[in-house]
Amino acid sequence: MSNSFKKVYLLISVLMVVMLAACSEDDTNTTSAKSGGPVSAKIGVISYMTGPGAAYGEAITNGFNLALDEINEKGDVKIELVIEDSAGKQDQALTVAQKLMSSDDIVALLGPTLSTEMNVVGPEADINGIPIMGTSTTAAGIPQIGEYVFRNSIPESLAIPAALEKAVNKYGAKKVAILYGNDDLFTQSGFDTMKAEAEKMGLDIVTIETFQKGQSDYNAQLTKIKDLQPDLILASALYNEGAVIMDQARKMGIDLPFVGGNGFNSPQVIEIAGEASEGLIVATPWFGEKDDSKVQDFVKKYETEYGHKPDQFAAQAYDALYIMAEGLKNAGVADRDALRDALAEIKDLDGILGKFSFDEDGDVIMEPTVLIIKDGAFQLFE
Amino acid sequence: MLLEQIINGITLGSIYAIVALGFTLVFGVLGIINMAHGEIFMIGAFIGVLITSVLGLPLWIAFIAAIGVTVILGYMLERIALRPLRGKQGVSHLAPLISTIGVSILLENLSHHIFGAGNHPFRHSFAQIQFQVGSITIYLVQILIFVISITLMVVLSYWLSKTKAGKALRATAENLETASLLGVNTKRTITTTVIIASALGGIAGILVGMAFNSVNPQMGLSMGLKGLAIIILGGMGNVKGAMAGGLLLGLAETMIVAYGDSGYRDAVAFITIIFILLLRPQGIFGKNTAEAGR
Amino acid sequence: MLGDIINPYHLQIVSFILINIILGISIYITLSSGQLSLGNAGFMGIGAYTSALLTINFDLPIFLGIILGAVVAGVFGILIGIPALRLSGVYLAIATLGFGEVIRVIFVNWESITQGSIGLSGIPHLGRELFKTFKLTGFDPDMLGLKNNQFIYLLVVLILLLVNILLVWFFIRQNKSRVGRAFAAIKMDEKAAESMGINITYYKVLSFTQGAILAGFAGALYAHVMAYISPADFAYHRAIDILIFSIFGGSELIWGAIFGATFMTILPEALRFISDYRYMIYGVILIAMMAFRPQGIIDVPLLKWFKKSLKLKRGVSHGIGTKKYN
Repeated sequence: MSNSFKKVYLLISVLMVVMLAACSEDDTNTTSAKSGGPVSAKIGVISYMTGPGAAYGEAITNGFNLALDEINEKGDVKIELVIEDSAGKQDQALTVAQKLMSSDDIVALLGPTLSTEMNVVGPEADINGIPIMGTSTTAAGIPQIGEYVFRNSIPESLAIPAALEKAVNKYGAKKVAILYGNDDLFTQSGFDTMKAEAEKMGLDIVTIETFQKGQSDYNAQLTKIKDLQPDLILASALYNEGAVIMDQARKMGIDLPFVGGNGFNSPQVIEIAGEASEGLIVATPWFGEKDDSKVQDFVKKYETEYGHKPDQFAAQAYDALYIMAEGLKNAGVADRDALRDALAEIKDLDGILGKFSFDEDGDVIMEPTVLIIKDGAFQLFE
Repeated sequence: MLLEQIINGITLGSIYAIVALGFTLVFGVLGIINMAHGEIFMIGAFIGVLITSVLGLPLWIAFIAAIGVTVILGYMLERIALRPLRGKQGVSHLAPLISTIGVSILLENLSHHIFGAGNHPFRHSFAQIQFQVGSITIYLVQILIFVISITLMVVLSYWLSKTKAGKALRATAENLETASLLGVNTKRTITTTVIIASALGGIAGILVGMAFNSVNPQMGLSMGLKGLAIIILGGMGNVKGAMAGGLLLGLAETMIVAYGDSGYRDAVAFITIIFILLLRPQGIFGKNTAEAGR
Repeated sequence: MLGDIINPYHLQIVSFILINIILGISIYITLSSGQLSLGNAGFMGIGAYTSALLTINFDLPIFLGIILGAVVAGVFGILIGIPALRLSGVYLAIATLGFGEVIRVIFVNWESITQGSIGLSGIPHLGRELFKTFKLTGFDPDMLGLKNNQFIYLLVVLILLLVNILLVWFFIRQNKSRVGRAFAAIKMDEKAAESMGINITYYKVLSFTQGAILAGFAGALYAHVMAYISPADFAYHRAIDILIFSIFGGSELIWGAIFGATFMTILPEALRFISDYRYMIYGVILIAMMAFRPQGIIDVPLLKWFKKSLKLKRGVSHGIGTKKYN
């Protein structure tokens, strides 16, 4: 009897010691922040790492990792990234978000990659009081989900009007045709913006055509458009479909300039469509050829580390982590609410995409650059 | 514009027809819908891209390679997914269908992994050859596609009705046991059928790559479902029906886009399936079968 | 204390399992009368959109929305089920597949109502709405030592669990009843069943409609758990997922669907490192299952063996094993 009693006693004392140790660990954390040491925090990342769109998630995660090393070296904050895969599916994104959110050390979330995923995860994060920032979610309405929801990816509502205005002015366009993918949240949202902007500018929309993913043949829609003789074609498409559309359009003799949205502005367009991609006009926050030392440093570093040039997704992710770091530094403590307030205050932060601020909804304030594909590369569109 | 759209419709329809020919052969002989046919077509297209754009070899090698690979795939499909189910006791008639669904999922994701998810350009000078007729540009590829599909249909019809092997195939389609009793090597006939059907898929794949310059892993699913619609429209197991059905669907889809709402383009195929199955399950050219009606 | 055990991450997975079980049963029910319906993703979508639209636009209470969602899906089930009587086997599978795709295209194009591919967001969440009601009565999860979201997800799981238990109990009883026996007879040999006087039309449509109602019900629940739906959620891939639940788990028994749904929902979580190959593995599973064990993992002999091994253990402890035989 006394033997087992001793065992129980031992067990209880061990437990007490462990619990005390855990408690005191927390104490040391807070003291370090108060004493002016680096703010230490864990940030959860939800990324599209496996599946058909994994290229996006990979670029984004690369951008994060590149920024992470630089930020931790600088020493104002010490960030640890906890990266999880959502496979681009809403239910997986939600499950993974729950996993991250239930861990008290995680002070903020970055991602998810797709607007559809953000629509599910955003409200959940908002209700649980953890700041979440999208780096690639550009559909309408996302920062409006809640106070804790931010994004640094330039939305269609900023990008498309910029591109469209320049194009209309340059070519004196009066009639436009709109072509969009109606089976994808992103391209549909882009279309809504295109249509609204075209109407606002008083343009004559000669026709609105749709296409679906997996459809190889766009000739029927393009023939119809060609017949109506617009001055510009507005295409809300992801670069995969967009490149093929331009190729088939050129083949049937449509030489008009195309105006595209966020999904269209990838160097892949030039790879897939070749010469046919000449005349594509897009607005983007990211211009890899920009004559800026910060930009060029990033491009060089990325290319050395990952073997190819960075795209918009990598660049936005890189800046996003810097934004988070700035917020953490200003908050002074690894606390979800304090971080959220600090983020909302960010004004004119200088990143590789240019000057960045959040508006009152947590949406982006930034000047997009309008580019055109000429002579086989993206160039500034004057 | 009407003339251009008709040309578009016929080009699209001819490709649909070639895919449908493969479907209808397999169904006619085995009584099985091969849900993996679309994926085999897609892999044929990728082989085409691989050979011409990546390796830079001439077009005819691409054709041969595509046919070769799809033939191997078809053979493996028959051996691994279909043959074990034949003659097994108590296996429902749905088992082969489900098995081919499994193959289609496997192939689609396999090509995601091997080729990557995006669109792969099909660049070949042959695809650029064009003629100007008035204000209309016609590409040599478009004419070629139409000619090939008609040729294939004619050759297939002839082969089925006049040659010994073709008759053996028809006998096997009619009744497996009786045909084997009469001395037909049914095992080999079935394998031959699947192989020919797969080769047809491969040919269609390359033609699509040339015509539309768009090859991605998702196109198999869409094409598979359309092929299904066509053989139901034309009558399962009926070669002429597959041809007619293919052209009809291609034209219908194009016309809906040209004169209607392009959003409903995909719905044309599926609504066709539902209506035909309910009103005339044997299709336009088909004969009454026990399973279709009641 | 309670707060330390309850993890919203696990609760989230459990709620998905419970919804998938209902979907698995929806295919099992139609299979049990010999009909393969590949359109259950479409019915699921109908249930989801109906409930979402009614609760968002007309402020209907959630449970009413869910019930109406299931009912509307059921109505469509009857509408499709009756003409589908003329089809069997492969033809039926294709027709239902076509139906599912048509429904999806309608969701995509009927933008004025469904918002098209943009989807419906802000759908009232099952747990959060119930939580609001609790709050009104002055209740605070702190009393139980729980955080807000732990409590919310606990509510969701409890509701789904209750629903599941009721449904499974109902269908097990139905299987033992005349209805269940009619289904089995029709599945085995339709003509023989007909000649025995079984009203095939009635039972086949019944089984089809039950499948539709269940799928619609699951869809509505899905809408109120995700709080956001879009047409892509109810596409061909969803139909395949549902098919696998029943085919892999065991198409002859309701326990098969339950096992299949549970296993297939946990698998991607447990094997995150191979989630890249997930659909390839599904493909291989379907092929292998059909070749080696077409009835699925759980079949009647396995269940009997399981029950027997349980009984045997009990028997030994009661001293039966001590009897000696010469």
